[in-house]
Amino acid sequence: MSNSLTLAPAPRSEAAERVRAEVREFLAAELAAGSFTTHVDTWLSGVDPAFSRKLGERGWLGMTWPKKYGGHERSAMERYAVTEELLAAGAPVAAHWIADRQSGPNLLRYGTEAQREEILPRIAAGECFFVIGMSEPDSGSDLASIRTKATRNADGDWVVNGAKVWTSNAHASHYAITLVRTAPSDPANRHAGMSQLLIDLSLPGITVNPIRILDGGHHFNEVVFDDVVVPGNMLLGEEGNGWHQVTAELAFERSGPERFLSTYPLVAEFARRVADSGDPAGLATLGRLSARLLALRQLSLRIAAALDRGELPDIPAALVKDVGTTFEGDVIEEIRKVVDVTPSLDSPDPLGRALAEAQLHAPGYTLRGGTNEILKGIVARGLGLR
Amino acid sequence: MSTDQDLVVETVRDILAGFEPTVLTAEKPWDAGLWAALAGAGLTGVGLPEDDGGSGGELADAVAIVRTLAAGAAPVPVAEQLLVAGPALVEAGIALPPVEEPLTFALGDAVVAHASDDGDGPGRFTLTGTVTDVAWAGVARHLAVLATGPAGPVLALVDVAAVPASSAANLAGEPRGSFVLDDSAASGALLTSAQAERLRARFALARAVQLAAALERVLAWTVQYAGERQQFGRPLGKFQAIQMELAQMAGEVTAVTALTDAAVQAVEQGAVERGAVDVVLAVAAAKVRAGAAVEVVARLAHQVHGAIGFTQEYRLHHLTRRLWSWRDEAGSELHWARVLAGGLLADGPDGLWPALTRVV
Repeated sequence: MSNSLTLAPAPRSEAAERVRAEVREFLAAELAAGSFTTHVDTWLSGVDPAFSRKLGERGWLGMTWPKKYGGHERSAMERYAVTEELLAAGAPVAAHWIADRQSGPNLLRYGTEAQREEILPRIAAGECFFVIGMSEPDSGSDLASIRTKATRNADGDWVVNGAKVWTSNAHASHYAITLVRTAPSDPANRHAGMSQLLIDLSLPGITVNPIRILDGGHHFNEVVFDDVVVPGNMLLGEEGNGWHQVTAELAFERSGPERFLSTYPLVAEFARRVADSGDPAGLATLGRLSARLLALRQLSLRIAAALDRGELPDIPAALVKDVGTTFEGDVIEEIRKVVDVTPSLDSPDPLGRALAEAQLHAPGYTLRGGTNEILKGIVARGLGLR
Repeated sequence: MSTDQDLVVETVRDILAGFEPTVLTAEKPWDAGLWAALAGAGLTGVGLPEDDGGSGGELADAVAIVRTLAAGAAPVPVAEQLLVAGPALVEAGIALPPVEEPLTFALGDAVVAHASDDGDGPGRFTLTGTVTDVAWAGVARHLAVLATGPAGPVLALVDVAAVPASSAANLAGEPRGSFVLDDSAASGALLTSAQAERLRARFALARAVQLAAALERVLAWTVQYAGERQQFGRPLGKFQAIQMELAQMAGEVTAVTALTDAAVQAVEQGAVERGAVDVVLAVAAAKVRAGAAVEVVARLAHQVHGAIGFTQEYRLHHLTRRLWSWRDEAGSELHWARVLAGGLLADGPDGLWPALTRVV
């Protein structure tokens, strides 16, 4: 098969297993102390700045970044183990998730020295949170059609007008890395004329309007920019290079264990039920789900190992996200076929609650970070079909 | 892959190129000529120690050979000999038959083995009972069978050249007949139940490796076909609907390959380093995952190929019919799914996650 889809197996990392044990011990203590309760899809819905600060204190944010920016110079395999443990426990990681996963790495790649020194240590400390400013009301999968515009004023600052949507937790975040048009769209080169701006969400002219998702939760927002003056030194990377930068950012966004573990707390609850009942049909379902999950882990670990080798495996990352997010939704159907439980957020049964949370979040799994149709298109390119 | 392994694979490919895949029938249940060519090149002893009559080499070399032959739909008992029966006999201290003579393996849950001497070690047994679903029954000269004795599992080796096999075949026409054994003389050895479980896992690993290789090849064939077949003035592969199907197939195949590789590695590292139970669970997971991919990959491969793929004259069925069979052989998908779940929950109701992160 095509080499662009296949990555070498990940070597077992002893360092990763050591930090995994530390995280597990920390999480057990936090759960015992009641500092959080387990939920499904907590990297979207579990905003808890105090919890994020605790992770920062322990050195579990900005793990792979240089020490001079507050990072810890650890491997992607170690970071993988930490993120995977947090997700499996259903811990409240949403506040820092975007900053740690993609905004920080984006700043490391393209930021100025001043931007890095100013912001990265705060992200690593769990004190500075980011949102993704890509989609717009009229631009979803067709990201190149964005209309949010930034123009230079006489002082060399940027004046931004437009709106971004689906900005998770913008109401609780500090910055938005915002994709804007800095030159009119050119039909001959749709990817030209875009740039990324580092926008402080407390600037005058920014309005954050809540958008509620199916379970009533407020995570999404519309962020409206009305003549917002962004200092000229807050351009991220090169003017006109926005498309390229966004593509690189998406490779980070698409490669992690949150792309198959969003509903893991439901699987764990189901496993408890099966362990108690010994139901053969439940056991078989748990076995099948576990086999799928183990395969996804291998794929995701291979990507972490590739990142450690300095590669940016965008096509394998798209493939894992497609297969992994499909699994996240399938989990619900497979489990409900073999348990006699009615889903409800108010259920006295933890399995009923987990099913309800997973179900009401389900449409998002295969949309966020690039729809599975877009991802399959990328995989098709890897197969040499486009 | 090492250079040696590349060389071995190259040799297998060269030999395979001289033999067309065949539609198997009761009259022609295997490819004796291909077997002779492989045996002549020493390839039917790879991974088995030279001291025991094998050709030497590692498990990984044997796996590479099995993968290559599976992708080529080669009708010869190499997976059974190199990955299951051969290593099991060597490990149990039972003398290996000449590697030029086809050897197979079967689970003989209904076969009772009685010691006919009083030795503690490998010795003589008599076997009674029916052994069903024997891969290559009527083709293999020797059968290694996992039987049951009064003191526990017994691995026994029977010369079945003179034993009549019932004619039965899997969906691909590969022989899967039965033998009725009645006080049949065998050499054999007692196994611990853990050894017996590992042997079952070895059998499942062989099928998982074959499944992975065949799935990869079916994807490659389908991508190739979609690039060549023109409809509405364009190759099929230019249609987005077809691209979505091929991408879905690629996702399945890539997942299977990654997990199968990990299971092979777990078996290579062995029970001491990885824990006996975890090796079995790694294989169980690979077998279940590979089996689960068959539904998607075979269905979409046929869908993309259209009617030509539904004919015996076109090559696709050589692999898709094997996929539909292999996924429930060496322990059904259901069996291994339950083994996997049971093993993952062995440490209690909260033990799933620690087990998942330990197994592979």
